This record gives sequence, structure tokens and C-alpha cells, in this order.
Amino acid sequence: MARFLLRYARLPSSLLVAAGLALSASAALAQDVIKFGAPLPLTGPLAPEAIKQQQGYDLWAEQVNKAGGIAVGGKKYKVEIVYSDYQSNTPRAVQTTEQMISQGGVNFMFSPFGSGAAKAASSVSERYKMPTIASTASSAQVYDQGYKYLFGTFTPNDTLTTPLTKIVKAKAPNVKKVAILARNDLFPLAIAQEMEKSAKANGFEVVYFEKYAIGTLDHSATLSQIKSQAPQWIFVTGYINDLLLVRKQMTDQQIKADVVSMIAGPAYQEFIDAAGQGGENITSAAWWHPAAQYNGKDIFGTTANYVKLFREKFKSDPDYAQASASVSGALFQMAIEKAGTLDKEKVRDALAATDVMTFWGPVKFGATGQINSLEPPVFQLQGGKAVVLSPDIIKQGEFKLGVH
Amino acid sequence: MLAAQILINALVLGCLYACIAIGFSLVWGVLNVINLIHGSFIVLGAYLAWGLYQSLHISPWYSLAVAAPLFFVFGYVIQRLILNRVITAPVLVTLTLTFGLDLILNNAMIYYFKADYRKLTLTPPMGSVSIFDVVVPVDRLIATVAALALTFVLYLILRRLRVGRAIVAVRLDRDAAILMGVKVNSIYAIAFGLGAALAGCAGVLMALIFPISPLTSTAYLGKAFVVCVLGGLGSVSGALAGGILLALIEGVGSAMIGPAHATTLSFVLLIVFLILRPQGLLGRKGFE
Repeated sequence: MARFLLRYARLPSSLLVAAGLALSASAALAQDVIKFGAPLPLTGPLAPEAIKQQQGYDLWAEQVNKAGGIAVGGKKYKVEIVYSDYQSNTPRAVQTTEQMISQGGVNFMFSPFGSGAAKAASSVSERYKMPTIASTASSAQVYDQGYKYLFGTFTPNDTLTTPLTKIVKAKAPNVKKVAILARNDLFPLAIAQEMEKSAKANGFEVVYFEKYAIGTLDHSATLSQIKSQAPQWIFVTGYINDLLLVRKQMTDQQIKADVVSMIAGPAYQEFIDAAGQGGENITSAAWWHPAAQYNGKDIFGTTANYVKLFREKFKSDPDYAQASASVSGALFQMAIEKAGTLDKEKVRDALAATDVMTFWGPVKFGATGQINSLEPPVFQLQGGKAVVLSPDIIKQGEFKLGVH
Repeated sequence: MLAAQILINALVLGCLYACIAIGFSLVWGVLNVINLIHGSFIVLGAYLAWGLYQSLHISPWYSLAVAAPLFFVFGYVIQRLILNRVITAPVLVTLTLTFGLDLILNNAMIYYFKADYRKLTLTPPMGSVSIFDVVVPVDRLIATVAALALTFVLYLILRRLRVGRAIVAVRLDRDAAILMGVKVNSIYAIAFGLGAALAGCAGVLMALIFPISPLTSTAYLGKAFVVCVLGGLGSVSGALAGGILLALIEGVGSAMIGPAHATTLSFVLLIVFLILRPQGLLGRKGFE
């Protein structure tokens, strides 16, 4: 050991200088990276959602790095997304967020998945004055805490149900009675409650409103009851498995209606494939749809280009979850470039002042930090494809009546 | 008419529940193993039916003939190679072991099939029959008949065949069965294989009715568990009785107090049964 040390002690000093230079060079390289923290439920029940988030972030990072990086004051910085698995466990999401900020050396943060976890973690971000974008939090309660550093790309839940109600009211004058069936779960129930409000506000009669338990394997009794009320509009919320089952059992029980709406299944290609003919004429709404046609100023440009890049990388179509993750990255990018610095305070101000068209749609944040410029598309499955019915600037087709 | 419709729905659903539970009941009753892989076996059976239909257009009714021997061998091998080593250990050990095996099988399915939901849709669809305004979907009706037939076949095996009598003998008194020359290890493996075969067949039938995804396995397992407790362990007719009782409670409960509380109601019933009638509706007292 002593001999070993002695040998190194005799190394020419020039070599040591060179080694020192190399070290400082690598330190400089490390500084040319902007780190974004992304706590995600990569394992556990929410894992499928986390994978979508990851795809969205990865696609953005890849595009930015391919283009040389984010320009800050004449210098280009590469993007690195730092992932951490919080195992679908919200308290752990909060811990992970704190660790990433205090020890992980991240420059900016993305929120954990969903409204609940995003709200819980937002208090940590706020304490550290860390600009954070929530890409999957729609509930207004996430943003009404008076926080300055939290921004979100989903509009409140009522922006999904109100345009849908307006279309039905305008195009289907015979529809008077609405039946609402909701999964007894945070987001699906919130959407159903908004639907009830917006239906009543527009003069519809809500003849049935019930919740079904998470993990329900059979809806036959519920559907028999709905059938006996003869509603012209059936509105069901839940996730893909619930909605597929409800749709199948509606056919089984020969339930027909002028309008059938489902949130959030039809936004996913998975639902369209699995429902097949049963999906025909089902209406839905989501914050974004690949059929939208926006001409953005962000790195992705048009919606069509985003869809193309996504297809090339993942061999499937993006839905609003992946697109929201990508646009969150793109919004950070534009804010950082506008601020011309990595200073958290200035980037936060640039984010707050955002007013730009993106492939996701127009983006402007309200006083609470939640986006208020977006009009979520209403769409209908026609001929095995989602056709956008509103808003007018991206409209692709006319509303059709009758789900058999 | 609504009441008749709800009753018919419940009867049909009850037979499906029985079909889900019967293999689970057999394994629990005979081996005293709470087989947590059961739900994943069902899902795997559903994927088998889906795959055969998508790629070769083989109707699920024929898939039953493929699933039964395939899952029997699968179950037999798992029991012989793995479970048999701890079969005499306390129930917690076998529970943990099947839990681990379930994790492996379920995650392997997520890896190969992804967590996406799929649906086996027959073309043309089978539709529904209606009698006096009461509608019954044909696929559920056939699945019900198949479930009853499977139950009956199992009943015949246990009653009439030598191997069936040996299974019953082991279930009643293991030590006496050994003294009578029954090869217990082989009987255990056959019983586990039968349980797996029933799960595989149930999966094929469920593929027509429920969306298919590895994530649904816990729902099947949960139903199987409740059905067994309600109906009683180790009795073929118990599974049928338990299934129908559970479906009735859920259906009527859902209509009376809303679907959000139907599941709560069924679990309240479960607790009541565990306290007042732990042997279930048709289970045999004193047998664990």
C-alpha cells in the first residue's frame, strides 16, 4: 500500500494539473444541464398513468436535447428529467418531492400524479419557492391555497361538462331526461357532480344519479333501474374497465338512448379498440385530443407534429395525459428562455406571464396558477374514430344522435 | 317487471360468481390452502380465450377444451414442484407462498400483455333474448349453463370417480386416507390441478363478459373469497349457493340503497356469516 502511494506521489505534476482540468471540465459540463424533478407512481395501482407521464416528459426532453437544449443567456443547456418512484403512495410523493428539492439538486419540478398528490406536494414546492407545473391536476381545490409557485395545465372539471351540455341542448331538443352514473372516486365523482349542475342549469331533468363502488363487477341491477326511467341521455363516469363493462351491459339489456356520454374512456385509443361497434356515437370530453389542430409556438409546433413525433417514438397515439406532460415541459422551456436565467423567482414570473399558443391549445394561467385559456374539446366516436365537435376552431364534424 | 329483471340478473350473475369461486373452494377445502393465484389463473384463462379468438378465430366455447387440460397440467406442476414443499406448514406459509407466486404471474402478465384493458367481442354479437320484457344476454346465459355444467362435472368427479373419492377422503381425514393407501401428495396435486383447470375455464367464460386485464385478478379473487365464506368450504353446491346469495344481495341491495353501498352490504353479510355461521350455508361443520 505504502509503495503504491509512493509511486503516485512521484507522478509528474503536469499530469496532476491535467487531471485537475479534466475534473473542472466535467463540473462545468454538469452545470450545463437543467434538472427537472418528476416524482411518479411508477409502481402500484397508478403505474399505467405514471408510464404515460414519463412518455410525455421523455418525448419533450428528447426533442429539446436534439435541438441543442434550452437557450439561457446565449448558452444552451441540456435537459435531464430526474424520476423517482413513490409507489402510488401519496405521503411518499411528498417525501420524494422534498428529497428532490433539498438533496437532489433539481432546478424545477413537475407535480406528482393527480389532484390529491399534486396538492399534497405543492406545499413543499411552495416552501422551497420551487416553480412547479402540475400536469394532471384539475380540481380547483389544488390551486386555491394562495400559492405562487404552482401552475397547472388542466382546466377545472366544469369546463368538460358545460360545453357537452350546450351541444346536446342545441342539437338534441328531444333530450329532456338525464341519468348519471358515477364511479365513487375522486375525479369521476367530481365530473358527475359538475354534470348534474350543468344539466340542471340548462333545463334538463336529472332522473337518476347514483354512485357505484370502485371495483364493481356488475352493473346489471343499476342499468335495469336506469332503463325503467327511460332517460334520453345517459352519462357515465369511470375508468376504461368500468366504462367498457357498462357499455357491454347496456347492449346486453337492450338499453338505447339518444345520447350516451362517457368520461374518461373514449379519450383513450384502448377504449375505442376494445369497445368496437359499441363505442359508436358515444360522446366525451377531455382536456386535449390528438384530433385537435392547434398551431403552436412551442417546440412541438402543431398538434399533428406532436402526434407524429409521439407515434414515431412510442408506436401508439398520445392521449391528454401524455400531451399534458409534454406541454408542461414545453411551457417551462419557454418560460426559462424568456426569463433568460435559471433564477427560480424570475422563471416563476415568466410562467405567470405566459400567454402563448401551443400544440395543447392556448395557454394562459389565471391568478391561482390554473390554466384558464383552454377550451377542452368535446368529441364523439364516429366510425371508430374520435371526431371533435367543439370548440369551433378545431371542429371536425357534426354531432350525431342515437346510441344503440 | 323491474323486480323480475333484477332477480334474473342476480341469478345469472350468481352462477358466474359460482364459476369464479368453485376452483378456489376446492383447493381451500381439500388442501387447506388459500390460493391467492386463483384470480390470476382466471385472467390468464381469459387471455387464452382472447388470444385464440383474435389470432385463430377459435370460439371461446372450443377454448374451454384447450384451457381445461392446459391449466390442469399447469396447476399440477406448480403444486408438485413448489406448494408441496410447504403443504403441511401452517396456513400462513402457504398463503404467503401463493401470494408470491401470484405477484410473479400477475406481473409477468402485465409485462407481456400490458395493463391495457381488452375485450373479446364476438362477431356477430350474440345479443339478448327477452321473455315478457325481461332481458337476458345470451353470452351470460351460455356462461351460466357452462358454469352449472362445470359444477356438475366436478360433483360427478368427486362422487363417482375413484380419484374423486380419494380427494374427499383426504379432505375428511388426511391421516386415515394415508393409512388406507391413498397417495396424498398425488391427490393434492390433482386437486390443485382441478382447481386451476376450473379457474382457467372460468377465465375463458369471463372473457366474454368482463374487460380483460391483469388488474382485474384481485376483483375475481375477492368475489371467490366471499362466495366461499357464504356458501361454505369444500362443498360443490356451497359455491353455487354462495354465488347466488352474493349476487342477490348485490343486485337487490343496489336497487334498494344504491350501487355505492351494494359491496358494503355484501361485506357486512360476510362478517355476519363469519360470526354466526362460520361454516357457511352448506359447508360442513368441524372441517377446516
